[in-house]
Amino acid sequence: MSAVIETGGLGKRYRRKWALTDCTLSVPAGHVVGLVGPNGAGKTTLLSLAVGLLAPDAGTIEVLGGVPGAGRAQLARVGFLAQDAPVYAGLSVADHLKLGARLNLGWDAGLARGRVDRLDLDPGQKAGTLSGGQRAQLALTLAVAKRPELLVLDEPVASLDPLARREFLADLMEAVAEQELSVVLSSHLVGDLERVCDYLIVLVGSRVRVAGPVEELLAAHHLLSGPRRDPATLPDGLEVISASHTDVQTTLLVRTSDPVMDPAWTMSEVGLEDLVLAYMSQAAGRRRRDNRHHLEVRK
Amino acid sequence: MIWLTWRQFRVQALTAAAALAAFAILLAATGPHLASLYAASAITGCHGGTCGTAAITFLSQLQATSPYPIVYLLGIALILIAPAITGIFWGAPLIARELETRTFTLAWNQSITRTRWLVVKLTLTGLAAMAVTEALSLIYAWWADPIGKAIDLGGSTSLFSGGRFSSLIFATHGITPLGYAAFAFTLGTTIGALIRRTVPAMAVTLAIFAAAQIAMPLGVRPHLIPPDHTVATIESVDLDFGNLTATVVPRQPGAWILSSGAINAAGQTVGTLPAACLGATTLGLKVGSSPGPCLESHGFREAITYEPASRYWPLQWIETGILLALAVTLAGFCFWRLGRRRI
Repeated sequence: MSAVIETGGLGKRYRRKWALTDCTLSVPAGHVVGLVGPNGAGKTTLLSLAVGLLAPDAGTIEVLGGVPGAGRAQLARVGFLAQDAPVYAGLSVADHLKLGARLNLGWDAGLARGRVDRLDLDPGQKAGTLSGGQRAQLALTLAVAKRPELLVLDEPVASLDPLARREFLADLMEAVAEQELSVVLSSHLVGDLERVCDYLIVLVGSRVRVAGPVEELLAAHHLLSGPRRDPATLPDGLEVISASHTDVQTTLLVRTSDPVMDPAWTMSEVGLEDLVLAYMSQAAGRRRRDNRHHLEVRK
Repeated sequence: MIWLTWRQFRVQALTAAAALAAFAILLAATGPHLASLYAASAITGCHGGTCGTAAITFLSQLQATSPYPIVYLLGIALILIAPAITGIFWGAPLIARELETRTFTLAWNQSITRTRWLVVKLTLTGLAAMAVTEALSLIYAWWADPIGKAIDLGGSTSLFSGGRFSSLIFATHGITPLGYAAFAFTLGTTIGALIRRTVPAMAVTLAIFAAAQIAMPLGVRPHLIPPDHTVATIESVDLDFGNLTATVVPRQPGAWILSSGAINAAGQTVGTLPAACLGATTLGLKVGSSPGPCLESHGFREAITYEPASRYWPLQWIETGILLALAVTLAGFCFWRLGRRRI
């Protein structure tokens, strides 16, 4: 199997407003995939569709070759950690493990107990009194101990402090390594993902702007700086993602497979964060231009 | 899933069990004495006309004896309120709280379909709600049995006056409490699924259920079975502000009188009765002898619309059936709503 999530023209609307439109993407198996996009890009909607909490209003979505949320077998194959890691406040940590054991056929009790011990969670403590980080760890324990093939995490670290963030992600990576899971996690902060993801999808306005293995993306993008000139004069095979100009200098973020030989340009490596931001602002610029175009047509 | 349902429900279940036990203890403590009062009253061994008088004496004595009036009213109130309470505190949060705290993302991503989740939740909690209400009703029916018998014999006081067809007694005895409990619970669940917030859902559930409890005896129950009509000589009547109201239907003991009024010799309904027959009245209330023979001599008779006593159980079954059908419809709506996966 090559894709864990495969969508075609996927759309979802809440009342009249479309939260996700015409989304077509393919998430490969065997990766830790980061789904990045600004707030409101449709990340949560997309992940909710993937785990079957929502049904699509348009297009198709297949997860591990099946219909999301359709039947026990499909539910057992996908683990989900929702935003802010909701747990039952009145139930203890031990109760949550029991819940997992009762509601999942493939429950790995040893794994769950081991994780709780290692994370120093008090089994008798009510989940409502756990810290944000502990709650996320508990919810992650529930999601991995059902032994899914795909783990979906929606903004897992957004509400955690930096230390809890680091611990959570390290713990997640450990679980992934042990269980050979495919993972999709979303974030609006690239910094969180940089450490853990080996595949990146940038989603802006429900459209995939760029997708690929992180190493390849970094190898194919370069920062060019040189004396000010029109980007149109660049050689073929270069795709300009973003351009900024000062009076004398032009800085470009370009995508190219070949090195740029022009001595006028200084070529340097680009960081993942700059790369993602470039695609996000490119999309924003396009939308602005589209809007302007509409206005002109109306006149 | 059964374990999770119990784990989330056990505090409410134990609270309900405790309340039920407290009520049972109260009734068990006072019930035997009530029965012995009845056994010692003149009702035992009465025949014919003396029974009515004996029943009135017994009920008057009871009304003056603490704690019977309070327990009598408390019991009726509890059985009427129990479905509302389970609807508000068990039904309304069932789905709404999961949505509000977003724990549905946890519950519905275990290896269990949300249909099964809802089947177990609705069945176990719903049956518990029905069982609690019906248990209240049954032990209360045992306790109030002597009072009911005395009322059936024609006894009546200002407090103990409701026969088994009266609005409050009908809805708190027999099998109707089952129907009300099922309806209130599924109503709460449905409103919770629609409003998605617990507290507003509770308020709306209470409002709708209370309206249904009022509408049922006033607007629905009298039309469930087409009533019988009879025209009888005026025997025992009450004059209610100048209008003639039948209290019994001839040869139909224990019948439920829906309406009654005087008609003249031509069979037309008359609003005003000849003053000569009404005798001395104060504010329209009858004083002294019955006006029956006098009205009779003027050619007046009384027309009564009623349900015979034999229709008590058919009416119970129909009313309960309607409520259960509503409950099933509401539950079906909840399944459809969750199945649409728009939450």
